[in-house]
Amino acid sequence: MSTTNSGSGITRERYRRLVYGLVGLGIVGLAVGLVLDQPLAGTSAYLVGVWVGAAIAFGAPKWSDATLQDERDYERHDRASGLAMGVVMVLGIGLIPPLYLLDAGGHVVITETVGGLIAGASALYLLYGVCLGIVQRRTHA
Amino acid sequence: MRNDLAERRADEGSSQGELAEAVGVTRQTINAIERDRYDPSLELAFELAAHFGCHIEDIFHPALD
Repeated sequence: MSTTNSGSGITRERYRRLVYGLVGLGIVGLAVGLVLDQPLAGTSAYLVGVWVGAAIAFGAPKWSDATLQDERDYERHDRASGLAMGVVMVLGIGLIPPLYLLDAGGHVVITETVGGLIAGASALYLLYGVCLGIVQRRTHA
Repeated sequence: MRNDLAERRADEGSSQGELAEAVGVTRQTINAIERDRYDPSLELAFELAAHFGCHIEDIFHPALD
Protein backbone atom coordinates (compact mmCIF):
# COMPACT_ATOMS: atom_id res chain seq x y z
CA MET A 1 0.00 0.00 0.00
CA SER A 2 1.29 3.34 -0.93
CA THR A 3 0.60 5.22 2.23
CA THR A 4 0.09 2.40 4.63
CA ASN A 5 2.99 1.15 6.63
CA SER A 6 3.24 -2.58 6.66
CA GLY A 7 5.32 -5.04 8.56
CA SER A 8 8.17 -4.59 6.09
CA GLY A 9 8.29 -0.86 6.97
CA ILE A 10 8.51 0.35 3.38
CA THR A 11 5.98 2.61 1.74
CA ARG A 12 5.49 3.32 -1.95
CA GLU A 13 7.01 6.78 -1.56
CA ARG A 14 10.02 5.44 0.34
CA TYR A 15 10.44 2.68 -2.24
CA ARG A 16 10.47 5.17 -5.12
CA ARG A 17 12.81 7.57 -3.34
CA LEU A 18 15.17 4.71 -2.52
CA VAL A 19 15.29 3.34 -6.08
CA TYR A 20 15.59 6.71 -7.82
CA GLY A 21 18.02 7.95 -5.16
CA LEU A 22 20.37 4.99 -5.52
CA VAL A 23 20.35 5.12 -9.32
CA GLY A 24 20.84 8.90 -9.18
CA LEU A 25 23.75 8.54 -6.77
CA GLY A 26 25.33 6.00 -9.09
CA ILE A 27 25.05 8.36 -12.06
CA VAL A 28 26.39 11.30 -10.03
CA GLY A 29 29.22 9.09 -8.78
CA LEU A 30 30.12 8.15 -12.35
CA ALA A 31 30.11 11.79 -13.45
CA VAL A 32 32.22 12.87 -10.46
CA GLY A 33 34.64 10.03 -11.14
CA LEU A 34 35.01 11.15 -14.74
CA VAL A 35 35.49 14.81 -13.81
CA LEU A 36 38.07 13.99 -11.12
CA ASP A 37 39.83 11.53 -13.41
CA GLN A 38 38.95 8.61 -11.13
CA PRO A 39 37.19 6.32 -13.61
CA LEU A 40 37.51 3.20 -11.45
CA ALA A 41 35.93 4.86 -8.40
CA GLY A 42 33.24 6.42 -10.59
CA THR A 43 32.44 3.13 -12.28
CA SER A 44 32.31 1.37 -8.91
CA ALA A 45 29.89 3.97 -7.54
CA TYR A 46 27.77 3.64 -10.68
CA LEU A 47 27.65 -0.15 -10.57
CA VAL A 48 26.81 -0.27 -6.86
CA GLY A 49 24.09 2.40 -7.21
CA VAL A 50 22.47 0.90 -10.28
CA TRP A 51 22.68 -2.75 -9.23
CA VAL A 52 21.45 -2.16 -5.68
CA GLY A 53 18.74 0.16 -7.03
CA ALA A 54 17.66 -2.45 -9.56
CA ALA A 55 17.68 -5.20 -6.92
CA ILE A 56 15.39 -3.12 -4.71
CA ALA A 57 13.21 -2.08 -7.68
CA PHE A 58 12.54 -5.69 -8.66
CA GLY A 59 12.89 -7.35 -5.27
CA ALA A 60 10.98 -5.07 -2.89
CA PRO A 61 7.54 -5.64 -4.51
CA LYS A 62 8.09 -9.38 -4.03
CA TRP A 63 9.27 -9.41 -0.42
CA SER A 64 7.24 -6.47 0.90
CA ASP A 65 3.75 -6.85 2.34
CA ALA A 66 2.95 -3.36 1.07
CA THR A 67 1.57 -2.77 -2.41
CA LEU A 68 4.46 -0.92 -4.01
CA GLN A 69 3.29 -1.38 -7.60
CA ASP A 70 -0.05 -2.30 -9.05
CA GLU A 71 -1.85 -2.74 -12.37
CA ARG A 72 -1.90 1.01 -13.06
CA ASP A 73 1.90 1.17 -12.81
CA TYR A 74 2.24 -1.83 -15.12
CA GLU A 75 -0.17 -0.28 -17.63
CA ARG A 76 1.72 3.01 -17.62
CA HIS A 77 4.97 1.13 -18.06
CA ASP A 78 3.50 -0.80 -21.00
CA ARG A 79 2.27 2.40 -22.63
CA ALA A 80 5.58 4.20 -22.12
CA SER A 81 7.47 1.20 -23.54
CA GLY A 82 5.17 1.07 -26.56
CA LEU A 83 5.57 4.81 -27.12
CA ALA A 84 9.36 4.59 -26.84
CA MET A 85 9.51 1.70 -29.31
CA GLY A 86 7.18 3.58 -31.65
CA VAL A 87 9.42 6.65 -31.56
CA VAL A 88 12.51 4.52 -32.26
CA MET A 89 10.68 2.77 -35.12
CA VAL A 90 9.48 6.01 -36.75
CA LEU A 91 12.91 7.61 -36.43
CA GLY A 92 14.59 4.43 -37.64
CA ILE A 93 12.39 3.89 -40.69
CA GLY A 94 12.33 7.60 -41.48
CA LEU A 95 16.04 8.28 -41.16
CA ILE A 96 18.20 5.18 -41.50
CA PRO A 97 17.46 4.09 -45.12
CA PRO A 98 17.80 7.65 -46.53
CA LEU A 99 20.97 8.10 -44.52
CA TYR A 100 22.52 4.97 -46.04
CA LEU A 101 21.41 6.05 -49.53
CA LEU A 102 22.98 9.48 -49.09
CA ASP A 103 26.10 7.83 -47.70
CA ALA A 104 26.29 5.50 -50.72
CA GLY A 105 25.91 8.52 -53.01
CA GLY A 106 28.72 10.32 -51.23
CA HIS A 107 26.48 13.15 -50.01
CA VAL A 108 26.92 12.44 -46.31
CA VAL A 109 29.26 10.31 -44.23
CA ILE A 110 27.89 7.99 -41.56
CA THR A 111 30.27 8.60 -38.71
CA GLU A 112 31.26 6.00 -36.15
CA THR A 113 28.95 7.61 -33.60
CA VAL A 114 25.94 7.58 -35.92
CA GLY A 115 26.78 4.01 -36.94
CA GLY A 116 26.86 3.08 -33.26
CA LEU A 117 23.48 4.70 -32.70
CA ILE A 118 22.01 2.79 -35.65
CA ALA A 119 23.48 -0.46 -34.35
CA GLY A 120 22.10 0.30 -30.88
CA ALA A 121 18.62 1.00 -32.22
CA SER A 122 18.74 -2.17 -34.31
CA ALA A 123 19.82 -4.21 -31.27
CA LEU A 124 17.01 -2.67 -29.25
CA TYR A 125 14.45 -3.72 -31.85
CA LEU A 126 15.95 -7.18 -32.07
CA LEU A 127 15.62 -7.52 -28.30
CA TYR A 128 12.06 -6.19 -28.52
CA GLY A 129 11.22 -8.83 -31.13
CA VAL A 130 12.64 -11.61 -28.95
CA CYS A 131 10.74 -10.33 -25.89
CA LEU A 132 7.54 -10.02 -27.92
CA GLY A 133 7.95 -13.63 -29.06
CA ILE A 134 8.43 -14.79 -25.46
CA VAL A 135 5.37 -12.86 -24.27
CA GLN A 136 3.26 -14.20 -27.17
CA ARG A 137 4.29 -17.76 -26.35
CA ARG A 138 3.42 -17.28 -22.70
CA THR A 139 0.06 -15.63 -23.30
CA HIS A 140 -1.07 -18.08 -25.99
CA ALA A 141 0.06 -21.23 -24.26
CA MET B 1 -16.14 4.89 -17.73
CA ARG B 2 -17.94 6.62 -14.86
CA ASN B 3 -18.22 5.28 -11.35
CA ASP B 4 -19.62 6.04 -7.92
CA LEU B 5 -16.69 4.63 -6.00
CA ALA B 6 -16.13 7.83 -4.00
CA GLU B 7 -19.75 7.85 -2.81
CA ARG B 8 -19.66 4.17 -1.88
CA ARG B 9 -16.40 4.63 -0.04
CA ALA B 10 -17.78 7.66 1.80
CA ASP B 11 -20.89 5.69 2.79
CA GLU B 12 -18.63 2.97 4.09
CA GLY B 13 -16.56 5.53 6.01
CA SER B 14 -13.23 4.28 4.72
CA SER B 15 -10.29 6.22 3.37
CA GLN B 16 -8.77 5.73 -0.08
CA GLY B 17 -5.80 4.05 1.59
CA GLU B 18 -8.03 1.62 3.49
CA LEU B 19 -10.00 0.70 0.38
CA ALA B 20 -6.77 0.33 -1.58
CA GLU B 21 -5.36 -2.00 1.05
CA ALA B 22 -8.56 -4.05 1.05
CA VAL B 23 -8.43 -4.67 -2.70
CA GLY B 24 -4.64 -4.86 -3.05
CA VAL B 25 -3.77 -1.75 -5.02
CA THR B 26 -2.16 1.60 -4.22
CA ARG B 27 -4.05 4.60 -2.86
CA GLN B 28 -3.13 6.50 -6.02
CA THR B 29 -4.99 3.95 -8.13
CA ILE B 30 -8.17 4.32 -6.07
CA ASN B 31 -7.82 8.09 -6.38
CA ALA B 32 -7.36 7.82 -10.16
CA ILE B 33 -10.45 5.58 -10.49
CA GLU B 34 -12.57 7.94 -8.39
CA ARG B 35 -11.52 10.86 -10.58
CA ASP B 36 -12.35 8.92 -13.77
CA ARG B 37 -8.72 9.05 -14.83
CA TYR B 38 -8.17 5.31 -14.83
CA ASP B 39 -10.38 2.38 -15.81
CA PRO B 40 -9.55 -0.60 -13.62
CA SER B 41 -8.87 -4.07 -14.94
CA LEU B 42 -11.72 -6.56 -14.87
CA GLU B 43 -9.98 -8.31 -12.00
CA LEU B 44 -9.85 -5.13 -9.90
CA ALA B 45 -13.43 -4.23 -10.85
CA PHE B 46 -14.53 -7.63 -9.53
CA GLU B 47 -12.49 -7.05 -6.35
CA LEU B 48 -14.20 -3.70 -5.81
CA ALA B 49 -17.65 -5.14 -6.48
CA ALA B 50 -16.99 -7.98 -4.05
CA HIS B 51 -15.76 -5.48 -1.45
CA PHE B 52 -18.96 -3.44 -1.68
CA GLY B 53 -21.17 -6.52 -2.05
CA CYS B 54 -22.64 -5.53 -5.41
CA HIS B 55 -22.22 -6.12 -9.13
CA ILE B 56 -19.60 -4.40 -11.29
CA GLU B 57 -22.29 -2.55 -13.25
CA ASP B 58 -23.64 -1.09 -10.00
CA ILE B 59 -20.34 0.76 -9.54
CA PHE B 60 -19.18 1.37 -13.11
CA HIS B 61 -21.26 2.89 -15.88
CA PRO B 62 -20.29 3.61 -19.48
CA ALA B 63 -19.70 7.30 -20.17
CA LEU B 64 -22.35 8.02 -22.80
CA ASP B 65 -21.61 11.70 -23.39
